[in-house]
Amino acid sequence: MKNGDRQLLQHEVTLLELVDRVLNKGVVLSGDITLSVADVDLVYVGLRVLLSSVATLEQQQAEIAAEAGR
Amino acid sequence: MSAPIDKLLEADGDLRRIAGELEHLPEAFPRRVNADPEQVEKGLAQLVLTLVELLRQLMERQALRRMEGGTLTDEQIERLGDTFMKLDRRMQELIEHFGLEEGDLNLNLGPLGDLL
Amino acid sequence: MIHVYGVVDRLADLPEVAGLDDAPLELVHVSGLDLVVSKAEPTAEISREALLRHAEVVEELMQASDAVLPAQLGRAFRDDAELEETVREQAPKLTRALQDVRGCVEFGLRAIPDEGPQDVEAASGAEYMHARLGEMHRQDSLVADLHEPLARLARATTLHRRGGELNAAYLVAAEDVAEFRRAAAQVEAAPGVTVVCTGPWPPYSFAEGAR
Repeated sequence: MKNGDRQLLQHEVTLLELVDRVLNKGVVLSGDITLSVADVDLVYVGLRVLLSSVATLEQQQAEIAAEAGR
Repeated sequence: MSAPIDKLLEADGDLRRIAGELEHLPEAFPRRVNADPEQVEKGLAQLVLTLVELLRQLMERQALRRMEGGTLTDEQIERLGDTFMKLDRRMQELIEHFGLEEGDLNLNLGPLGDLL
Repeated sequence: MIHVYGVVDRLADLPEVAGLDDAPLELVHVSGLDLVVSKAEPTAEISREALLRHAEVVEELMQASDAVLPAQLGRAFRDDAELEETVREQAPKLTRALQDVRGCVEFGLRAIPDEGPQDVEAASGAEYMHARLGEMHRQDSLVADLHEPLARLARATTLHRRGGELNAAYLVAAEDVAEFRRAAAQVEAAPGVTVVCTGPWPPYSFAEGAR
């Protein structure tokens, strides 16, 4: 790989790491936090109900397909 | 300010692959309000499938640990493997159905980091 | 609209760089905490300039203070009252987090094995399980070989495994940075895997607290 190309890639990788930190990490200071700890618990409970067996998943797929067909 | 290249400590190998991966950065859900019904359905599918994928990984990992520990019979191993295979196949179909990619399945839980 | 860059401890002076939209940086005190903010025009989208400017300010804050909790970009406050209420609510957590990161910087690790996770084409359930077990062992080895040596030198870490890939962050005390860099160089040399180490960063990944 040419030195110039490599430098560009390094630049891109560093920039992407920076973007990841600024947008996805850092302390969230806001009145409307997306998911609080309580909400995460709810999500997990919903998961158990959501998926009990492969059969359930198949049924959901059939329903989704039926909806999409409309 | 351009990207602080002096942040790169060590980098070996094919950086293109890392760069490609980073372009799949999961975003906080929801970050932008989008009222387009097709996008809403896709966003919902993304959420649902992410949660299913989380469960699938957890269950599979647990089963593998038990198999490693020798506490599963051959029949159980066969049945579990068969189920997980089917589940994996179904997941791939659903992901494709909603025009998603595997890299789309993630949730950023803010303070708690990424789900997957 | 008020934009927040971070919470700081013993900031020497406000950095000379301007904030988003070239607005001046300001220091505000709430519940015994110091925040660096600027007034911004309400916007729906975050521009590339805003993103880089935010990062630049946070970087300057790290240089000029004993500790900084970088704020995530993308949320703003309508007014002083809303800002004060939010900070007051989170004050104990923020104070603890500030303690956690004092004197530390963040390093990041990303590793992708050259051999991707095998797409398992198994003829039976048992074959599938054994293939998956092999994959799990490969991932565990990756963690042991790449992550553990670095984690030992860190006050705190975050680790994510995804499809055979590793993504980790390390909170490293200033006095351990030289040794960490040496360890990172060794990890980078690991065969069969593409490794990228970056840093030192302000402690974004530990701004919510280092567990």
